[in-house]
Amino acid sequence: MISRRRLLAATAGASLASPALFGLNAVAQIRRGDELVVGIWGGAQERITRQHIVRPLEERYGVKINYVLGGTPERRARAYQERGRPSFDLVYLNIFESRQAVRDGVTQAPNIERVPNARHLHDAARLGGYGVAFNPVTVVYDKRKGRVESWKDLWKPEWKGRIAWPSYPGAQGTAALLMSAKLWGGSERNIDPGFQKIRELKPFAAIQGSQDQLYTMFDQGVADISVEFGSFTRSYAESRNPNIEIANPMEGQAIATNVACPTVGTRNQALVEAFVDLHLSEPCQMAYAREIYYSPTVRNLTIPADLAPKLVLGADVGKLVDFDWDHVISQQAAWTTRFNREIAG
Amino acid sequence: MALAVPATLWLMAAFAAPMAIVLLLAVQESPDPFAPLSFVPSFAQFRALLFDAYYLGVVARTILLGLGVTLAAAVLGYPLALWLARLPAQARPYAFAIVLIPLLTNVVVRSLGIVLLLAPDGIVNAVLGPIGLGNPRGWLFTHFAVGLALTQVFLPFMVLALYDSLLQADKRLDEAAASLGASRARAFFAVTLPLSLPGLRAGATIVFLLASTAYVSATILGGKKVWVAGMIVWQEALTNLNAPTAAAMATIMLVWGVAFAALAERAVRTAAPWLRGAAARPPVFELPPALARAAVVALDLLGGVAAKLLLAAAILLLIFPLTLVVVQSFNDVPQASVAGFRAFTWKWYAAALESTTYLRDARNSFDIAFVSMLCALAMALPAAFALARAEFPGKPAVSAFWMLPLALPHVAIAVGMLRLLQIFIAIPPFWGLVMVHVVLILPFCIALLRTSVLQLDRTLEQAAASLGASPARVFVTTILPNLAPGLAVAGILAFLISFGEVTVTSFLTTARLQTLPVRIYAEASFSLEPTVHAVSTLLILGTVALLALVNRFVKLDRVWAR
Repeated sequence: MISRRRLLAATAGASLASPALFGLNAVAQIRRGDELVVGIWGGAQERITRQHIVRPLEERYGVKINYVLGGTPERRARAYQERGRPSFDLVYLNIFESRQAVRDGVTQAPNIERVPNARHLHDAARLGGYGVAFNPVTVVYDKRKGRVESWKDLWKPEWKGRIAWPSYPGAQGTAALLMSAKLWGGSERNIDPGFQKIRELKPFAAIQGSQDQLYTMFDQGVADISVEFGSFTRSYAESRNPNIEIANPMEGQAIATNVACPTVGTRNQALVEAFVDLHLSEPCQMAYAREIYYSPTVRNLTIPADLAPKLVLGADVGKLVDFDWDHVISQQAAWTTRFNREIAG
Repeated sequence: MALAVPATLWLMAAFAAPMAIVLLLAVQESPDPFAPLSFVPSFAQFRALLFDAYYLGVVARTILLGLGVTLAAAVLGYPLALWLARLPAQARPYAFAIVLIPLLTNVVVRSLGIVLLLAPDGIVNAVLGPIGLGNPRGWLFTHFAVGLALTQVFLPFMVLALYDSLLQADKRLDEAAASLGASRARAFFAVTLPLSLPGLRAGATIVFLLASTAYVSATILGGKKVWVAGMIVWQEALTNLNAPTAAAMATIMLVWGVAFAALAERAVRTAAPWLRGAAARPPVFELPPALARAAVVALDLLGGVAAKLLLAAAILLLIFPLTLVVVQSFNDVPQASVAGFRAFTWKWYAAALESTTYLRDARNSFDIAFVSMLCALAMALPAAFALARAEFPGKPAVSAFWMLPLALPHVAIAVGMLRLLQIFIAIPPFWGLVMVHVVLILPFCIALLRTSVLQLDRTLEQAAASLGASPARVFVTTILPNLAPGLAVAGILAFLISFGEVTVTSFLTTARLQTLPVRIYAEASFSLEPTVHAVSTLLILGTVALLALVNRFVKLDRVWAR
């Protein structure tokens, strides 16, 4: 259940802090009848957040919370179009999009003082908004065909011709490209070694554009190894394909985060912050971890022993490989062009 | 002339503005999303695209893919349309349902079906392997796979365009051909095919425009090894937030789309001169008599078998996703993409029916689709008469303008609409979406109804008029009943397209009004659950029921058809 005290703290904190906020067109208090518009993914995330955030908030404050469901690209394109006069109060974005949106003045940087649960956030989840879930990217493979302990194992001969490389851009493809560069002496500022080494892996069994597509490829024996979100792949492996293993490479998994991003110009600042606070609360974070294996972004949870090995926790969070996303974004168009010509074609 | 006004005005109001924005974006120099629009045209985007072998290759392959899909749809569509037109009237709603299955099935599901067909140990290899034609690496991630997926989903458009055209043809002509000794193959090529050319033109135009602007199937089945122009528009507009490059590519696509429509128009005018009252010209070249006789014999021998095989292939291609959808809707797995069957469950149906949001969204989609269909038909009917019968200055331009919403990729329309979001939001959400949906379905209705009007037997109208019927009475008692199958077909397609529209709608839905496909898409973009299949199955059942109902009141056939 949600803690009433915590909610009160959220609002009290918000109303105290608001006079000090300059330039935010915000209503400092939550009023009955306020309406919040949240842009979020459908499916399990919608279900969990409705249960643990929307219902308590609506009951507590007599507000109405409306969801606009959709994919990240549409939501982001719209938020950019509406910069400064948003129809969304809160949008959920991925890691690099969220940081870019803050830089472009579309969404707000996090304000830890105003969202009580945000003080428990890992450092990596305090950029570009409030990270609500770690969903790292790693190597996933058919364990009957080989073993993976390092990202470099992708270059071992047993996988030759059996790799479904993730398409770039996209969280998985970005991680795969950046990790390749990093492994082979480059970095996000020296991407060339990455492209060179990925080219060596050709021919690919396929280029995969989504997790659904990848799992179909595993089912159909099209490919044996790829780079993918560990969380979904675990659900897939447990329910359908016990041969698939989620690697925990020695170099660390590549960071990917779902981020709650209040828009610049929202008229419901306090309500948005109460919403985010509940998203970082224990019940919601635990539901994410238990139902879809999204790792918590807050440090104050006690994870049961049966669940812990399936998540990225504690020291592993520190090992998550992060990048200079501003630079990555600035290069995205050029790298896309290069990827399409050199890797995918 | 006045007949052309409603459709033109609607498109002016709801489509000209976003299109003008796309054209304006295409001539921007800077890709910065926040840069103010410049009115000094720059051709930097076009230069970047047209002087680059990579992009030119994508454009060329996209056009070839579109042509290939159009050809495949025509070859598979004829046997199917003939079969449909010759079925007894009671069986027709179910046959229609078969044709419409791909339009009622989520794109992810349809694509999964193609994957199961073409994977290394898939069905195609299982059939072709033993006779030495298998491809050990599978057929996936090739232009062939993408073409097959596109053929499957666009085949219904071709079939329905041909269907009405074939129904309109006077059956006495077939009998005349037969009584003069023509075999069935000969009668098809000498009588049926030429008479159905207007339908073929409508179908080919629609299929080509749809196939060459599509991007979702290519993304899923091309595995990013196959690149089509629509993917570039999507990627530039949404991932790279580079609207100008996306708009420039969309403009290039617009140009070739219009060019194809014009060529198809010209080709049919030349091949079927009787449509404009001119006499048929002698063929340009003739085979030597001996060769011609041999060809006829060969056609007669093989034609029947080939037609049956093609019909079987077409039906299998269409219903394959259905089996998958139904099986998956009872499958107890957490992710819908998973292929194998694990355990039987009703829970996805329970989830679909318990959740009020699915039902509410379905209701929204239904209302929008129904109202949009009525608006589109009301405007398309006069427009079709204007195209088929009237001569007025600027007719080719007007007719091209009406087809533009088909030729401009939907992503580009969405990009244009985004810039108008502030205006759009001021309109009540329901009517805003209806406005946009009518734009998207109007070209289909006009193209299909134009064929129907063109093939109306005018002597019937003259007979009615000479017997003293007023023009209104002629319209109600003679023209409308003759147009009933055409109107039904156009209406069904319009309804289904609007009901399933997601590309543009997903940018425009608000918290207050969400449609079913947008919800499904939102769930698919996270992780698809089999609830989607349960919903699809219910939709297919609903469509069959609806078709049976329609068939009861408005015959999908002419009353006097023999």
